[in-house]
Amino acid sequence: MAHPSQLGFQDAASPVMEELLHFHDHTLMIVFLISTLVLYIIMAMVTTKLTNKFILDSQEIEIIWTLLPALILILIALPSLRILYLMDEVNDPHLTVKALGHQWYWSYEYTDYNNFGFDSYMVPTQDLTPGQFRLLDVDHRMVIPTESPVRVLITADDVLHSWAVPSLGIKMDAVPGRLNQTAFIVSRPGIYYGQCSEICGANHSFMPVVVEAIPLKHFENWSTLMLENS
Amino acid sequence: MSLQKPVMRGLLAKRLRFHLPIAFSLAIAAALAFKFGVTEPRKKAYAEFYKNYDNVKEFNAMREAGVFEGVRPSGE
Repeated sequence: MAHPSQLGFQDAASPVMEELLHFHDHTLMIVFLISTLVLYIIMAMVTTKLTNKFILDSQEIEIIWTLLPALILILIALPSLRILYLMDEVNDPHLTVKALGHQWYWSYEYTDYNNFGFDSYMVPTQDLTPGQFRLLDVDHRMVIPTESPVRVLITADDVLHSWAVPSLGIKMDAVPGRLNQTAFIVSRPGIYYGQCSEICGANHSFMPVVVEAIPLKHFENWSTLMLENS
Repeated sequence: MSLQKPVMRGLLAKRLRFHLPIAFSLAIAAALAFKFGVTEPRKKAYAEFYKNYDNVKEFNAMREAGVFEGVRPSGE
């Protein structure tokens, strides 16, 4: 989850998010380069009374300020396309979970081998136990195995929602009547938080997403237990 | 002794010739500072974190702390 006064991304918990972090660093570096250049030029131009009223054209500078931005754009586009294709690689998921957006909670269905599902409501602030996070914790988390490719099929029951978990680098709209697919691998065990990312009514801010990643053996025990209880 | 004729042309161009290399150098310096101050340390931090990361040990520590819903601490 994010910590107070955080400016940057949350720590990555999936390989794709790590790549996105590095790409963001690369692009931000280019942004700082351009901003520094432009700022210096502005300062140099506003601190002089010298002018040249008779410049009509200059082929040299036109070539420079066409080629240089083109080169910078290529330097941004290549890693960007690389990540784009990386995210779309055929990944042969070990597990498929369905996430349905409702007003105002998520429900998860595990229908691969056995059939069980549950609703995931935010824990109201007055019911929080010590250690729980306000507006982030839910009564039933989406549990998945670590280091396994997981596919999530996302849809909605009523209005648009969006299923997002920033530390895994996932955000996918939940559209009624449509099934959107995303996939991820969680690199390490832990609990990862996200929030509904498409305005969906009064309690849009109060339907968080919580993904709990545990080793496969424990995940199988949990799913057996869930099946028995359902 | 008459005064030397002052330079009257190309003043802006001279200023540009002076300032543009500084501008480009500062821009590249800012980029390099970000690269070696943020980008490379971040890459190294992730590599170091995962180099000796013990999945099982970390999971057990979290499990015993009772944070998971899918698996209770071993005593329970």
